[in-house]
Amino acid sequence: MGADVLNNVNAMPAPTWHRLGMNETAVELPEGLSFAAQVEVEAAAELIGEAGAFDAAVAALQERVDAARAAGPADTRAILKAVDPDVDPADLDIPALSTYEHKAARQEMANNVAEAFECGMGEQATAWLAEAAGKGAATVFAPAAGKHGQATVRIAGVDGAANVAAIDVVAPAGATFDLTVSLDSPAAGSGVVGVVLRVFAGENAHVNVTSVHTLDETWMALDDTGIVCDEGAFVTVRHRMLGAGKSYTGLATDLRGDLSRVDVDTRYLAAGQDVRDFNYIVRHRGKKTRCNIDANGALMGESKKVLRGTIDLVRGCKGAEGTERETVLLVDERVENKTIPVILCDEDDVAGNHGATIGHVAADQLFYLKCRGLSQEAAEGLFATATLEETALAVEDETVRAGVGRLAGRLGIPYQEVEG
Amino acid sequence: MADENILLNVAGLSAAVDEKVILHDVDLTVGAGETHVLMGPNGAGKSTLGHVVMGDPEYTVTGGKITFNGQDITDLSTDKRSHAGLFLSFQAPVEIPGVPVSSFLRAISAGRPGVGDMKGKQFRKHVKELAEELNMDPAYLDRELGVGFSGGEKKKLEMLQLLLLEPKLAFLDETDSGLDVDALSVVSRGMEVYRKRCNGTLVIITHNTRILEHVDVNRVHVLVKGRMTAEGDASMIADIDENGFEQFEQAAAAAAE
Repeated sequence: MGADVLNNVNAMPAPTWHRLGMNETAVELPEGLSFAAQVEVEAAAELIGEAGAFDAAVAALQERVDAARAAGPADTRAILKAVDPDVDPADLDIPALSTYEHKAARQEMANNVAEAFECGMGEQATAWLAEAAGKGAATVFAPAAGKHGQATVRIAGVDGAANVAAIDVVAPAGATFDLTVSLDSPAAGSGVVGVVLRVFAGENAHVNVTSVHTLDETWMALDDTGIVCDEGAFVTVRHRMLGAGKSYTGLATDLRGDLSRVDVDTRYLAAGQDVRDFNYIVRHRGKKTRCNIDANGALMGESKKVLRGTIDLVRGCKGAEGTERETVLLVDERVENKTIPVILCDEDDVAGNHGATIGHVAADQLFYLKCRGLSQEAAEGLFATATLEETALAVEDETVRAGVGRLAGRLGIPYQEVEG
Repeated sequence: MADENILLNVAGLSAAVDEKVILHDVDLTVGAGETHVLMGPNGAGKSTLGHVVMGDPEYTVTGGKITFNGQDITDLSTDKRSHAGLFLSFQAPVEIPGVPVSSFLRAISAGRPGVGDMKGKQFRKHVKELAEELNMDPAYLDRELGVGFSGGEKKKLEMLQLLLLEPKLAFLDETDSGLDVDALSVVSRGMEVYRKRCNGTLVIITHNTRILEHVDVNRVHVLVKGRMTAEGDASMIADIDENGFEQFEQAAAAAAE
């Protein structure tokens, strides 16, 4: 039945002080889980692709990566020599490397897209999710080149079970694809609801991923995503982590192709004893690649949240720019919030930006809201309401909207139904 | 003005920010259903007066009294002043990322007679009608509050809130500034609708006499260096348009000595 505890989940690529307790987390799974694999897929039949399509797309990209590398000049940097087992130890120019640097240098030497591929939650969690989903059971969406497609995958809680979907999206050149994933718990019970998603966005492809969690507090959500972008590809990710007693979200993106881009727009809510744990990693490998990670959340009750955001500007990504921002509203004094923006840089001519606003409603916003009749408490409540209503407006799916409405009722948050 | 018609009475109001006095012993009396214009050069304290009347915590009231609808509101919280019927249209409305306009409008309507009692569908229909009345694309209602709005759209949203909440008295703080001709006419229309629909009372803070061309003004007040230096009928507008504020600045300087 697999491990009872998943270790090294949502680990930061380059750890900070261990005493801060933020480098990674351990996920204690509920006891006696069975595997349910009850997933509802809504998509046109022609969008369903063949098993192995993701690996084939990565292999095709590898061929071009290798060809480009062969044409380039040899790299003579000492940092690469440092990971070469045949290097002469007498060479004192070789630097001592941290574990992270060692791994990064090895990846750079190998330049292997498949080996470097990762999902944000880390190896152990990704493997467990794949096992829970059933080996070889991934749903593959593969729109035709230059065509548009959309799909919705609904994963509902099954009492006493881990109900997990494995999804591959392979968008070839010029394709656009919209995927909505709903993690919901319409029926009472407890267990794990999860998704492991791999996305390959081909040349100039555009993939939009929306994942919405509207689970009750008795459920755990595991949301694990890995993305590879070819040249000019653009992936947007909307994460709406609104429910679940504990939710763990990992997202890793390999911006391999020049001019590729990923935008992550995250909204989260946590109340009571809820836990929200995020790990976002964007590796800029291609030239002039872009990323924007924008997270907004409200923490209520005694909830806890940690958001790790790593922008890795890998050597060679000239002209790349990565930005991460977070706004956290602390509604209750008892909440625990941790925000860890990290920018790793091994290239010049790049830009890495980060910013975080943590606390209560800004003074100018609060005065404006008070001028419209809202007390401080009502003003802070508005942000929770708005998070739910924004999701219902943005995601035109009745299951999602019903889940949001149910969540609003459970949390006692004023909420107006959105018309279809 | 008969006492029973007085809606807002500001008497001897002084206010400071960081110990710097901005308003000096200001008097202002506005009758129900009237339209007053507050003019003055830049930095005179016009916006400050609007903010202090609304209870902006950035300012400390160091003297005087504000009475609204017969109630002393000098120490009342801002949200309660709003529910009492006061409204301030902001010169630079804030942006609140993550909050859709529709959620915001619903929240500010809660607990208010009429609009607060409307059911979801009825409320949405009402808001949509108001948006159309102001030539505002209803798609804005699904967008985040103020985010990516043009200056004109922000001001239209202020007018939409004015028509939605129907306050007893509204300070319009340079609602006309930076607007093109079309947006200006929409704001003018909004003011007119507000006045007619609920016998609204306006205090218009402006530099631009153009916005006043289609408004029947009852009184004009001139604020210079935090002091009320002149008050008169609508004919003062043309005079100020022609001669500026220099004549009043001398009076303010004399008062300061």
